[in-house]
Amino acid sequence: MIEVKNLKKVYGDRAVISGVSVSFEKGKVVALIGPSGGGKSTLLRCINGLEDFQGGEIHVGGEVLHPGGYAKNKRALLALRQRVGMVFQTWNLFAHRTATGNIIEAPVHVKGLSVEAATKRARELLERVGLSHRADAYPHEMSGGEQQRVAIARALAMDPEALLLDEPTSALDPERVGEVLDVMRALANDGLTMLVVTHEMKFAREVSHRTLVLHGGAIIEDGPSHDVIERPTHERTKAFLGHTR
Amino acid sequence: MTYTLPASALCRFMAFAALVAGLLSCQGERSPTRSTASASRDGGSSAARREDGSLRRVRAAGVLRWGGDVQGGAPYVYEDPDHAGRNKGFEVDLANALARELGVRAEFVQNDWSALVPSLERGTFDVILNGLEVTRPRVGRVRFSRPYYVFAARLMARRDNPRVRADINALRGLRVGTLTNSFSEEILKDHAEIVGYEGTEEPYADCVAGRNDAVLLDDIIANIYGVPKPELRVVGDLQDGFYSIASRPADNDLSLALDAALARIIERGELEQILRRENIYNDRQLGLRTWGDAEQQRMLGLGPSAPGSAGPPGAAVSSTAPHRMSFGQVVLFVKGAGVTLLLSVLAMMLAIPLGLGLAVARLYGPAPLARIAGAYVEFYRGTPVLLQLYVLYYGLASVVRLDAFVAAILGLGMNYAAYEAEVYRAGIQGVPKGQMEAALSLGMSTPLALRRVVLPQAFRMALPSVTNDFIALLKDSSLVSVITVVELTKRMTIVAVDTRSYVVPGLLCAFLYFAMSYPLSIFARRLEERLARS
Ligand SMILES: Nc1ncnc2c1ncn2[C@@H]1O[C@H](COP(=O)(O)OP(=O)(O)O)[C@@H](O)[C@H]1O
Ligand SMILES: [Mg+2]
Repeated sequence: MIEVKNLKKVYGDRAVISGVSVSFEKGKVVALIGPSGGGKSTLLRCINGLEDFQGGEIHVGGEVLHPGGYAKNKRALLALRQRVGMVFQTWNLFAHRTATGNIIEAPVHVKGLSVEAATKRARELLERVGLSHRADAYPHEMSGGEQQRVAIARALAMDPEALLLDEPTSALDPERVGEVLDVMRALANDGLTMLVVTHEMKFAREVSHRTLVLHGGAIIEDGPSHDVIERPTHERTKAFLGHTR
Repeated sequence: MTYTLPASALCRFMAFAALVAGLLSCQGERSPTRSTASASRDGGSSAARREDGSLRRVRAAGVLRWGGDVQGGAPYVYEDPDHAGRNKGFEVDLANALARELGVRAEFVQNDWSALVPSLERGTFDVILNGLEVTRPRVGRVRFSRPYYVFAARLMARRDNPRVRADINALRGLRVGTLTNSFSEEILKDHAEIVGYEGTEEPYADCVAGRNDAVLLDDIIANIYGVPKPELRVVGDLQDGFYSIASRPADNDLSLALDAALARIIERGELEQILRRENIYNDRQLGLRTWGDAEQQRMLGLGPSAPGSAGPPGAAVSSTAPHRMSFGQVVLFVKGAGVTLLLSVLAMMLAIPLGLGLAVARLYGPAPLARIAGAYVEFYRGTPVLLQLYVLYYGLASVVRLDAFVAAILGLGMNYAAYEAEVYRAGIQGVPKGQMEAALSLGMSTPLALRRVVLPQAFRMALPSVTNDFIALLKDSSLVSVITVVELTKRMTIVAVDTRSYVVPGLLCAFLYFAMSYPLSIFARRLEERLARS
């Protein structure tokens, strides 16, 4: 359902993604791993239209993005972002809204849901991420793990066909990582399409169906998670996994 | 969220109120300054009087320092167009003649006209010689010499306005322009709706534009600024008034010497020559030759006023000593504060959305729009608001004829918008980038994300600065008196002239500003503390 064709992205004169082609199936969880600076975040941000790119195209559902950014892709971008949710490393909850306020913001103002309907849905989502008791808490009153779980609920409130998660647990205290991974595991079991940039190898191996290794702006390894993580073929993957394990 | 005054702040507030109340009650103790001046008028006894040293002081210095304002223009004192940096005018000639009689040199001291009397009192110069009309309030503060010019309060109106007649009692309900604190303003009190101006050109320009119904000012001024305008006509002269030399009441010797010198200059026909040079001599001046104590008393409003005589209106019946502010004046003060507050609130209501628009255009608008917004901000911050008000009200009068209050709101609002724009720009840039990205990733358009996510947070961050700007605006709003709006500070100067003292009106004025701004500054500080905590 997401197809990236020959994607090229440069910063100045430096290629950050050099001709990546990859497609992602519906209902599958894909882990994106690789050394820092490999282009994982950039790939995710391109798919979500947060970054412009210089070559190739990106298909999501029926929408197509071309190079040229907001000016050239305005309609496709707005439609596409409603189909693909994004979860950031640093949560980025709206600081001036409560947990519920964060969740209902887009359904009410983008989809035109009534506040009552959106609030009812928010309550269900908060329960799903185990935060019913934090419905009226402001971001600065919550722990990182709680904020990240609200951020996931906020993305789910738009009923996305896929969820992009960029290192959702990297900024958390170690004892808070588990609660977020548990939520993600539950979502995977429910059949949500997810693209997860992560350094949690255990999660990648146990939850994701497929693992991609991105290095220097190219996919150097792609296969079933168990195979890629247990028997990497590429030297760089071996070196990288040796570091993280 | 409600904000309550902390106890300590309340105490400070009450202490200030008590101070003002105290000064209000003890204000009668200022001694009436008139007594010295009237004593000197008693004539015969002057030989036995002890010297006060004022004449000796001037002679020792070798200069008679006289105050005036070249901005008043021709024919009084003005810059000589042929000799840059030199002044000419009939008052320059008169000052030179007077100094010569005293055996000294005349030295001109430039001083803002509206502050001539306070400057005289402070000793900035020895005398005022600059079209200073003998009015009731001034008689209480300075010592007037015999007059050197008799003028007429001349009424002018548009040719196409037949409603205006040369009768003071026929002006009721009309808007009549004049200079603030002038003789003509005194005449108009209780007879017309006064529109007070600070300059001589503006009232006539406004008359042409239809922003006032008529203008009442000294005939010299009318002939130069009003008569040349083809749209205007001279309706008639309402009353005669006098220009006299003003000195400090304590400087008796100097006053007497000046009176004697002036008498000699008039006797010799020299004054007539001086006046003829500027083409302002007329039959009204004939009485100056035979001026005696009786005429002087009448001019100062002390003697019996002959029917139809020329004297300051109401001077004969009112005490000239400083007096208490009446209840009516206090009410006017509170109204002035109301005008200040309303003006500031409306100007801020314009400045906030306009500033927001400018900030957003500068940060997110297409390049041309961003540049225009940037230019707007730099222009408005880089030029004085006083000039902006002038251009808006007088400069554009031929294009848009704005009501004074509307012009004041627009002028202040557009100026403050530039400052607000910078405050919001900083606020928007202070919102983490991730907030915008999160909003976009949820499918919001950029404008929606700005409105729902970025701006509310930016505004919260900017709110303390906005509150501080509002406090500054409250005080800056006093500038709009140049375009005839009577707000708190203007009301204070008017009442100060009436009561002959700046002390009580000044303190009351300060108190009212303080009462408006202090709760706001507490509010701003509370907000800052709250923001710092979260
Ligand atoms: N805004 C930017 N400007 C310039 N270079 C950037 C920018 N963002 C990312 N990069 C560069 O692009 C490369 C890929 O970055 P990123 O996608 O964040 O890697 P990863 O997420 O895999 O760590 C890095 O070398 C990084 O330095
Ligand atoms: Mg990254």
